[in-house]
Amino acid sequence: MNIVPQLILNSIIAGSIIAFLAVSFNLIYGATRFFNMAHGTIAIFGGYIAFFFFKTLGWNMYLSAILGILAAGLLGYIFDRIIYLPLRKRKASGMIMLVASIGVFTALQSLIQIFFTSEFQTLSDISVHDRLYTIFGATITQTQIYILIMAFIVAICLIIFLKYTIFGKAVKAISDDEEVAKIVGINTNKIIGLSFFIGSGIAAIGGIAVGFDTGLNPTMGMKLLLHGISAAIIGGVGSVYGAFIGAFVLTFVANFSIFWISGEWQEAVAFVLLIIFLIFRPRGIIKR
Amino acid sequence: MKNDKNIIEVKNLVKHFGGVYAVNDLSLKIPRGEVVSIIGPNGSGKSTLVNLLSGMVEINSGVVILNDAEKLKKIKSYEIQDLSITRTFQEVRLFEQMTVIDNLLVVLTNRSVFGSFFEVHKKYHLEEVERMLQRVGLEAKKNQLAKNLSYGQRKLLEIARALLMKTEIYLFDEPFAGLFHAMIKTVSGIIKDLRKEGKTVILIEHNMDLIRELSDYVFVMDEGSLLAEGEPDSVLKKKSVIEAYLGK
Amino acid sequence: MFSIYAILGVSLNLVVGYTGLVSVTQAAFYGIGAYATALIAKTAGFGFFSSMLIGVIVAGLIGLLIGLVLSKFRDDYYVIVTVGFNIIAYGIFMNWHSLTRGPLGIVAVPRPKIDFLGLHLDFNNNLLFLALVLVFLALIYFLARFIAKSSFGRVLKAIREDEKAIQVFGYNAFYFKLAIFVISAGMAAVAGSFFASYLRFTSPNTFVLMESVLILSMIILGGLANLKGSLLGAFILVLLPELMRFVGFPNEIAAEMRQIVYGVILVLLMIYKPSGIMGEYKL
Repeated sequence: MNIVPQLILNSIIAGSIIAFLAVSFNLIYGATRFFNMAHGTIAIFGGYIAFFFFKTLGWNMYLSAILGILAAGLLGYIFDRIIYLPLRKRKASGMIMLVASIGVFTALQSLIQIFFTSEFQTLSDISVHDRLYTIFGATITQTQIYILIMAFIVAICLIIFLKYTIFGKAVKAISDDEEVAKIVGINTNKIIGLSFFIGSGIAAIGGIAVGFDTGLNPTMGMKLLLHGISAAIIGGVGSVYGAFIGAFVLTFVANFSIFWISGEWQEAVAFVLLIIFLIFRPRGIIKR
Repeated sequence: MKNDKNIIEVKNLVKHFGGVYAVNDLSLKIPRGEVVSIIGPNGSGKSTLVNLLSGMVEINSGVVILNDAEKLKKIKSYEIQDLSITRTFQEVRLFEQMTVIDNLLVVLTNRSVFGSFFEVHKKYHLEEVERMLQRVGLEAKKNQLAKNLSYGQRKLLEIARALLMKTEIYLFDEPFAGLFHAMIKTVSGIIKDLRKEGKTVILIEHNMDLIRELSDYVFVMDEGSLLAEGEPDSVLKKKSVIEAYLGK
Repeated sequence: MFSIYAILGVSLNLVVGYTGLVSVTQAAFYGIGAYATALIAKTAGFGFFSSMLIGVIVAGLIGLLIGLVLSKFRDDYYVIVTVGFNIIAYGIFMNWHSLTRGPLGIVAVPRPKIDFLGLHLDFNNNLLFLALVLVFLALIYFLARFIAKSSFGRVLKAIREDEKAIQVFGYNAFYFKLAIFVISAGMAAVAGSFFASYLRFTSPNTFVLMESVLILSMIILGGLANLKGSLLGAFILVLLPELMRFVGFPNEIAAEMRQIVYGVILVLLMIYKPSGIMGEYKL
């Protein structure tokens, strides 16, 4: 069955994309302890910005990508400053923050719809420059290889960064107990703001990657986010390493399920997997 | 029937959280119709014991025997009312965004889904609630939201709510903490009344004077196990008890 | 349309405002009602009211199943799972071609007819249809009010405030939560039936996640735990696009603009008045 290697490859690609979202979601959740529902849409916002500079204005591809990442990071940071920070100051409950993020999601997705239309926009230079490689009978494009490599690099960098820098330790302190972190002298708001910036930026890499791989569409934000959250939960909420692994578990299961279920149901399969995990193993695969 | 001496017996009860043993092979017997105090330093497992008895946390091993008859290995919180147990909480858990009167009415409701649907609060429910409010001195506040009450009033409301259950066993977790003198008198009065009615009261408390004044019997816990037990005066004089409190 | 949204709003408020469960899955039940009515009316040839009844039952049963699964979760995870269900429902509407005709939707859904005891009413007349929907709105509103003011409603509120505490007093929260969820689902299905009949057509695109979010925003705006608030919220929801057209926004982006406004309103509400305009409960 020579479809298997292709499936494996597809799963790896899809996994890498989701990994960006899962890992970044984890970072922000670790610092703020609420589910940011707007995260996915910020990711594709980054993708759209890159699209704008690259396709519409014709700027250099790498520059556009970087601009996209920065724009998303900045947007995430701004949202934190004007929305989540005031809420934290009022000791708002997690639910209030979650609903607020739903509001952000709604407004942002609609804004994107207005400016970029609901049609699919693709970032890729239609395969003219994209070389195809064949491994074990499965094809993979050069862009996809880049995405894959980036995913690993980013994940590893993040893990190292979190483990060994002061910032990383501060984030861990905050996620354990925000009050105590403040008492100990950590400027929690600054750290959280920075987490938003970095997290949103990483998510944007995922958004840009999606733009290259399948194309962008305003409603993809939430879909990506849900996959990202599923991955994070499957791998173990709060662990970057877990989120990374979880992403691949998710995509492998979803992709291989086409042996039994037709392709359009993949979304449903992903959710069923999530629900199964939530019921039976809410801590995820990696033991904390 | 007064011939069974122990209303609750706990045998080899164990509760651990992760690697921490909050209650470690605990066995004790609580006599019927008496006021029993459970004391001990912080972290000794007193609240956990009460949580186990009220079904708030799951028993890991061991058994709880009620009325020398029922052996229970699992207790679910919504069943304790049938077991004639009710409780208050150390951190005072009220229904914050509901009125005082609603906080009390809600526990008098029919317990099944269908029953509560069609129930019409007869006058006697309201009268009962009014009487209870008067007993604890909260009638003036009856339409206030629970979250607007003062700390002492909140504690009183919690006790009122428990009293409405009319159970045999009452678990009070630090009912006197932070109360002013007048309210302490009210609560002591209530506990004394319960004793007169033949009810069993299990008290977690730190105030030694109150313990001496109110309790018939005292259990001292430390690090999840029973350190000492006996009449208040003798127990509170024991060297081991004093040491436990002061830290070895 | 106002009445349809009002029904939806009231149904969701029961779950969110009174019981404290933030559910983003209402559109799924809305859709189930719509599709069930449409399908049954067309294929089995039943009248509107019977189809609606079947739709309500179907929605109720599915609500039961979903409610069972949801009962294992609290707070944040609860929301995520409800989002998941909405998306699964959408997937079913979109992909189960044999049943729902996928993206094409079901057309030519009939309007209700009453041929009863000499009363002969054909609701193809829009005004008459409106009257019918209002009647049902009133029915549902009063039913919800009855529930809210009943002892059952009081227990729901207690569950919202402190679920573990109310259990100590003998109430098994599981059953209560399940019950209200099923009731809410049934109500939403009624709205769906009317929707299908009103437009004479259903398609999956109406029942997307955003719709559930809109309904949620609507009741938060109007006020949680306050049924009149839900009516107010529905009123504003329907009025807003008209206002915007009035102010001069072009028609094509009206839907998105409304969503943006709702998103912003939601954020502002959370910051400044989490209980809504007439609400009695903060999240």
